[in-house]
Amino acid sequence: MDKKKSLELIKLEVLGCLNEKDLESLKMMKEGNEDFPWKELADYQNLVALIPSSLEMKYPASELKDKTAMKLYNIRDEIKAKIDAKKALEAPSQTVEEHLELEEKFVIEEKIEVEEKVFAAAEEGFHINVDEPLTTGQDESFRIVSNFKEKEESKNLINETHDKIETAVSKTAPEKDVIEKIARDFIKAHIEGDIDLLNQSVKKNKILSFIFFFITLILIGALYFIKQ
Amino acid sequence: MAESNSLTDAEIMLKIAGYDSKALEQLYDRYAPFLYTLIKKIVTDKETAEEILSDVFVIIWRQIDQFDFKTNNIYTWLVTLARNKAIDVLNRRGGKMLPDYSDEYEKEQIIPKLSADVAALELEEVLNGKGKMEKALGSLTDAQRYVLELSYYGGLDQEEIANKLKIPTVTVKSKMQVAIGNLMQKLSEAK
Repeated sequence: MDKKKSLELIKLEVLGCLNEKDLESLKMMKEGNEDFPWKELADYQNLVALIPSSLEMKYPASELKDKTAMKLYNIRDEIKAKIDAKKALEAPSQTVEEHLELEEKFVIEEKIEVEEKVFAAAEEGFHINVDEPLTTGQDESFRIVSNFKEKEESKNLINETHDKIETAVSKTAPEKDVIEKIARDFIKAHIEGDIDLLNQSVKKNKILSFIFFFITLILIGALYFIKQ
Repeated sequence: MAESNSLTDAEIMLKIAGYDSKALEQLYDRYAPFLYTLIKKIVTDKETAEEILSDVFVIIWRQIDQFDFKTNNIYTWLVTLARNKAIDVLNRRGGKMLPDYSDEYEKEQIIPKLSADVAALELEEVLNGKGKMEKALGSLTDAQRYVLELSYYGGLDQEEIANKLKIPTVTVKSKMQVAIGNLMQKLSEAK
C-alpha cells in the first residue's frame, strides 16, 4: 500500500506538480520508509528528462558563450574562496612555516620563469606591448575564466588576469622594469658594436673629406698661378 | 574551440569540480543546444531563454559541489536543473508568489535531487532515441499529452491545471499518473 502511494506521488513529483501537502507526505515516506522505491524514483526522473528529446533542436546565439564567460568571470572571487577552502581542507596538516617556505620558493621559480620568457622575447626581437587590449573572440570565451583558474594555481599570475580585464598598471609594473633592463642589456650586447663601427666610419669619412678639400685648394691655387 | 568529443560527460564533470573552465566550455558545447531547446519551449522568447541558459551554466560552475558523483547521472541532472530554472523564471514572470531567490533557495528548489539508485543516461544515447520518445508521446491520448505538457513545460501544479481545464483536481492527478505510467510502458516496449 505504501509503495503504491509512493509511486503515485513519485509520478507527480518528477513532473514538479505536487502540492504542499503531497510534497510533505512524500518527504516523510522518503525519510521514514526503508522500502521506499528509490529505483522507481530514478527511473521516473530519467523518464521525464527524456521528454525534451522529442523537441526540434534550436540553437542559442553564438555570442551567448562570451556572455556566459563574462558572467563566470564576474563571480571569480566567490570561486576563488571556494578553491581556497577546498585547498585548506585538503592540506590541513601543513604548518605555517612550511606554507611560507613553499610560497617563497614558488615566487622565486615564477620570477625566473617570467625573466626567461622576457629574455627569449628580447632575443627574438618580440615587441611586448603592455597596453595591449583584451580580445574576447568566440574561441577564447572561456579563456578568461581558464586564465583565472590557472592563476589560482600560481598566485603571481592572478595579477595577469586582472591586468587583462581591469587594471593593466598594477600587474605590468614589475614586468616593465625587467623589460627595460633586458632592453638595455640587449642594446649593449648587440647594438654597441654597430655604433663603434659607425663611429669609425664617420671618422674615416671626415679624414677623406679633409684630404679632398686640401687637394681642391691646391688645384685652385695651381690654376690661379697657371693663369697668371 | 574546445574539443567536444574527447572526454566523457563524467570526466568533464570531474574536471569542472576542479574548476577547470575548459571542461565547462566542453560541457557548454555539448549541452547548450539541447538545454536551450528545452528552456525556449518553456519560456518561449529567445532573449529570456538565452539568459536562463547562461544562468544555468553559472549555477553549474558555482554549485558543482552539489552534483552527486556517485550517481553520475549528468544528463538527467542538467536537464532537470535547466527545467527547474526555466520554470522558476516563468512562475516569477507570471506573478506567482515565491520565496526570494537566494543561494539557499537555489540549493533547495533549483538544484535537482536525484535518486542514487539509477542507471545514468548519456546525451548521445538520448539523441539517438529521439524517435522512440516521439512515438511513445504520440501513443498517449490528446488529454494525457496535454496535461503532461501543461505540467512539464508549463510549470503548472495539479490545482492550476484543474482550474485551467475546469476539471476536478483528482481527475488531473489520475490523468497525469496514467499518462506518465503509459509513457514509461511505451518507452520500455520500444527498447
